Amino acid sequence: MKTTKTTAALLGLGLLLAGCSATPDPAAQTPAAQHETQAQALQASDTWAKAAKDGMSAGFGTLHNAGSQAIEITGVSDAAGNEIQLHETVGTGAQASMKQMDGGLTIEPGQDAVLEPGGSHLMFMDLKQPLAAAQRTSLTFTFADGSSAAADFEIRNFSGANENYEHGGQKPEHTMDHSKMDHSKMKHDG
Amino acid sequence: MGSAPSRRSVIGGSAMAALGGMLAGFGAAPAAADAGQTGQPEGQQGGTRQFYGRYQAGILDEAQLHAQFVGWDVIWGEGGKKEQLRALLRMLTDDAQRLASGRGVLADTEAEMAADPAQLTLTVGLGQRLLDQVGAGKNAVGSMPEFAGDKLDERYGQSDLLVQFCSNDPTVLAHAVRAVGKNLRGLAKHVFTQRGFIQPASGAFRNLFGQLDGINNPAGDTRELAVFGTQENPSWISNGTTLALRRFEMDLDAWDELAVSGRDFALGRRQKDGSPLSGTSVADPVDLDAANELGLPKIGANAHVALARPGSGDEVIHRRGYNFVDGERSGLLFASYQRDARTSFIPVQRRLAAADALNQWLTPVGSALYAVLPGIEPGMYLGQQLLD
Repeated sequence: MKTTKTTAALLGLGLLLAGCSATPDPAAQTPAAQHETQAQALQASDTWAKAAKDGMSAGFGTLHNAGSQAIEITGVSDAAGNEIQLHETVGTGAQASMKQMDGGLTIEPGQDAVLEPGGSHLMFMDLKQPLAAAQRTSLTFTFADGSSAAADFEIRNFSGANENYEHGGQKPEHTMDHSKMDHSKMKHDG
Repeated sequence: MGSAPSRRSVIGGSAMAALGGMLAGFGAAPAAADAGQTGQPEGQQGGTRQFYGRYQAGILDEAQLHAQFVGWDVIWGEGGKKEQLRALLRMLTDDAQRLASGRGVLADTEAEMAADPAQLTLTVGLGQRLLDQVGAGKNAVGSMPEFAGDKLDERYGQSDLLVQFCSNDPTVLAHAVRAVGKNLRGLAKHVFTQRGFIQPASGAFRNLFGQLDGINNPAGDTRELAVFGTQENPSWISNGTTLALRRFEMDLDAWDELAVSGRDFALGRRQKDGSPLSGTSVADPVDLDAANELGLPKIGANAHVALARPGSGDEVIHRRGYNFVDGERSGLLFASYQRDARTSFIPVQRRLAAADALNQWLTPVGSALYAVLPGIEPGMYLGQQLLD
């Protein structure tokens, strides 16, 4: 896919630039050629999203900041125009619930933001078209400096990620229903 | 895909010579010496096997201790079938390379179980019906014919997709099979899971009759040639091959009634050490002309080894089978790789099905044939040479 190659090239360039920036300038937030943008510092790996016909779904993966300064993801979007929120865990154990992050997702230099079931994740609020297993979808991350970077998310079957949501308007039971549907189709003994 | 090699093509030149040499091994030279694989088999080690390469792993390499052969039928959704198969194989490739390197698959809920793959390999083959449905690999393998004596159970029949999972650790294996199966939910319907085990011994293993199985398997370059052919005469696709998968139930209760001499005569080799009845050591050739003091053949015409012996270089196959015990049923999960099953496995199996002295204690209940995909480099997906 063309998108993939572009992203890979972009990320590669980001790494290269990060490696070359001997004198990081925190004030430099414009995508000038000799300075890294926040987007260029993003290295996404193991990115995947839960297959769903409609309603809510979630995206996971490891977002690494390969740059020399903190990066802040302020928004996530896709070509379908889905509303995608950054969510975090609130509380622990059976009491744990998910809510939208208050601000953006900040990743310090050299650090990872791990998005995983039961932890922070990307939330598709109401799918405009299905996320079909074995397909992939491209998500675009927008950063505090106005730069953006795309990453491919592989779509996979997943029975989990049915956490409760703090705010009432998200219809968590919707997600549960789809999860049950998946189960009923699952007849294999492998 | 490109032009398929002629099914009637005769292996020529050096290939002929090499397989001819293999053939000669049955009459003149000790074939087992060709195996050259004595001592501790690498198959019993931990660690990883390279996923990427010219050929898929799990074919030429030493058989691991445990295997699961899992079959699925593709469930078609909306859109082009070739595109759907491509997406499925892309996912399967990602799963396989992650698992082989000791990582969980994406969406893995028990990635810890993948940590030491213990030589895990995943080997992927496709059935002819699936190839026909996507308009690729025309006449690549065809379908497995019915053989005399077959009492096939549809549970172990042909599937669209076959993954041979092998590892030295059955727990790793169970996780790999489940992880792949979960990712295939909704995309493919599970048809069968056939589990097997072996304990390698000098390039062979003891089957559940007690026999040393695999003594005359081709090794080294000969094995490669028998499985993948040559550049001029490849399998159905360059660096691909075919897999014949047959499930033979053994009547062990009836086998118990047979004296050792009767067992040895049915096989043509001695149960004790695998030596042919025409010789004294396992490395001795199978000599069908050898006669005893009364002038009677030492190896009967209907002995298994007499009929299984390749009639030409074209008939050489590489066996990579496993024992199975499934509830009250026991037997051999026969798996063989060969350049073209139609010129090798199938004619040999026809001879065996018609007259093999061992048939009395064997019931074939499963039978399938697969076009095994070529190996790939990083960045590619399994089947790319076929579908792009």
